[in-house]
Amino acid sequence: MSATTIGWRGVLGSGLELVRKELLQLRRDRVLILFLLYVFTVDIYLAGSGLSFSLHNATIAVMDQDQSQASRELSSRFQAPQFNRVGAPADPRARQQQLDTGSSMIVMEIPPRFQADLAAGRQADVQFLIDSSNSVLGLLAGSHAAEIVGRYNLELGSARLAMSGAGGSLPRVDNAQRSLFNANQNEAWFMGIAEMLMLVTVFAIILPAVAAVREKERGTIEQLLVSPLTPMEILLPKVVAMTLVILAGITLSITIVLRGIFDVPIRGSLPLFYAISTLYIFTTSGIGLFLATIARNMAQVGMLAIMVLAPMMFLSGMWTPPEALAAPVRALMSISPMHYYIDAGFGVLLKGMTLGELLFPLGAMAVLGAAAFAAGLIRFRRQFS
Amino acid sequence: MKIDRTLVVAHKEWLEIRRDRLFLSLCLIVPVVLMLLFGYGLSLDVENIPFAVVDHDESPASRDYASHFSDSRYFDFRGRLANEADIDGLIAANELRAVLVIPPGFGRDLAAGRSAAVQTILDGTFPVRAMTMRGYVLAINAQASMNIALDWARTRSGADEATLSAIVQPVKLETRNLYNQPLRSVWSMAPKLIMVILMITPPFLTVLGVVREKESGSIFNIYASTVSKAEFLVGKLIPYVVISMFNALMLFALARYLFGAPFKGDFIFFALGTMMYVVCTTGIGLVISVLVRTQTAAMVIVAIVTVVPAALYSGAIIPIESLSPAASALAHLLPAMYYAKIATGSFLKGVGATVLWPNVLVLAAYAAALMGAGYLLFTKRPRT
Repeated sequence: MSATTIGWRGVLGSGLELVRKELLQLRRDRVLILFLLYVFTVDIYLAGSGLSFSLHNATIAVMDQDQSQASRELSSRFQAPQFNRVGAPADPRARQQQLDTGSSMIVMEIPPRFQADLAAGRQADVQFLIDSSNSVLGLLAGSHAAEIVGRYNLELGSARLAMSGAGGSLPRVDNAQRSLFNANQNEAWFMGIAEMLMLVTVFAIILPAVAAVREKERGTIEQLLVSPLTPMEILLPKVVAMTLVILAGITLSITIVLRGIFDVPIRGSLPLFYAISTLYIFTTSGIGLFLATIARNMAQVGMLAIMVLAPMMFLSGMWTPPEALAAPVRALMSISPMHYYIDAGFGVLLKGMTLGELLFPLGAMAVLGAAAFAAGLIRFRRQFS
Repeated sequence: MKIDRTLVVAHKEWLEIRRDRLFLSLCLIVPVVLMLLFGYGLSLDVENIPFAVVDHDESPASRDYASHFSDSRYFDFRGRLANEADIDGLIAANELRAVLVIPPGFGRDLAAGRSAAVQTILDGTFPVRAMTMRGYVLAINAQASMNIALDWARTRSGADEATLSAIVQPVKLETRNLYNQPLRSVWSMAPKLIMVILMITPPFLTVLGVVREKESGSIFNIYASTVSKAEFLVGKLIPYVVISMFNALMLFALARYLFGAPFKGDFIFFALGTMMYVVCTTGIGLVISVLVRTQTAAMVIVAIVTVVPAALYSGAIIPIESLSPAASALAHLLPAMYYAKIATGSFLKGVGATVLWPNVLVLAAYAAALMGAGYLLFTKRPRT
């Protein structure tokens, strides 16, 4: 009985020693430490600041062929922050040139006799040409224009109706929009959190992969293998050390960048977020170990990591929601542990969800992660023992 | 600088790439896989948005208004909710992304010719998605409002349809979406994906190829040989430029034929611009590899200087005009933005050298500067 206790303590002790060895090794890698500091602070800051997905400053040129009070009234409604008025082209050729070179994104053409038509109660056609080579902005520009002209019409229409003898004003629906969880649509919140969750994934895969391949390249792995340790006892300290390092990175980002600079309201429980992240990093590291067993050198492991990380990121649901994807791609998405980590991460940090509400993503993450870890471990064991 | 010695270096590099089978196949497969993933995975079209209605009015008018949303292809009607209490929870759990709330008195207000207020509650977690949903809501609401006004005017005034539509819609806005008429996001993305992928993969290949020699020590053969600095650098680069150009051709074919993006411009000009860009991006790899000693450090630095700028500061997702002044200045310092203009111009806009030549000129100058920097920084007498 006492012998087993000592044995168990011995294993734990040597495990802790190995964790210390890994941490020491990481600490002495100056480039890596600087890089970690950089990405978990500056990089997240860069990703979150100064970016805007909304229609902002869209350049609009107005070809006003009427030059009347009515035409100026209409064109004056296209204002900042969505629109930015630029000089109008003189003729259709210049108009094409302006759109081709991108010096204006929108050209609005108000026809001659615009005011006269309106005064006579006729319908006036206004052309709205949008450079839609960016499809999202094209859509937004068109919708905003429809909204602006709709309001303008409502004012004129009510007056016309009064003139036609029917009286009263025209009915209209005002649709106010409210965004939950991020009322002001602060992109920094989204981008900051997204970048952090992405970096966690990158390091959870790359750090163990690189560490294992480095030992392989230098031959030091042989030393470990002739020691009386099992593959599990060799790998576990590595993974524990990496997890600790990444958790430290998370702490840096949350305190300095997310809370300190971007004022992200952390609505859920931070300990829960740490627990989720620990589970995720620990299990996802299996993918990194798996890659390390395939690659023979750094170059190969680098390329393999890109091959694995790129799809994980794009199928994480961060950029494209599952419902917008084709069924086979959606199936792929459902086996990516990162997809569940994103759901749970945003759920805790921004939506304030609790453990009970996150059971599904967490369960899926745990199952997929355990499978990845087991696969990495089995291949590692087969390769070395 | 002698041509034959340069070619010998290039040949040696080519043999080395060819014999590392895994590396070679990754060189050729990675860009294609990235293109497929981004093309299919990065759709910014937001369709089938899970959508529900809370209708406190229960009038024909409110049902008619709600049907404008549930009948559109953008919203996927999931049912009615009894009250607002459940909305937050359902949106938090990703069950719903948009809920329309119609207050009591909606139909009465409209019938009296007043304006009626409704509310749309959106999932704001992901701003790109929320923006797109806002765009749809605005457009559908404008259309629905117009129809309601038209119906109302019809019951009040005996005028004919043409007069009615002139009353309700004095200004008719004719919107034309140029260059990407169906507003398909994959058309917008495909040319920019070529830009992003050619920003990331060539420097990766180059640093791994060059730093490998440093790490394994075989670079001392070069230090000791008669091969000059310029011959070594150019010879090293040639195979990577050739591989990257081949990749560019593959990416072009995928964009054109798999994703169906229209190519309206001049192919020769596009090829020339792509060549300049590839020389730039391999050049970035070259300068980095001259500076660092280990492959790990090289990969890390390439990741910093290429991935984030290519995705965020190049106009790929966010237009340059929307960037903050500092970010915009950064965008102008990198080659990606100039090539994005060449690629989008050649694919969607159908413009050629007459409009785009300044961009090619910038890329050429950039390439020359990188080669110069590589030449100055590379030394055959390294401090150890």
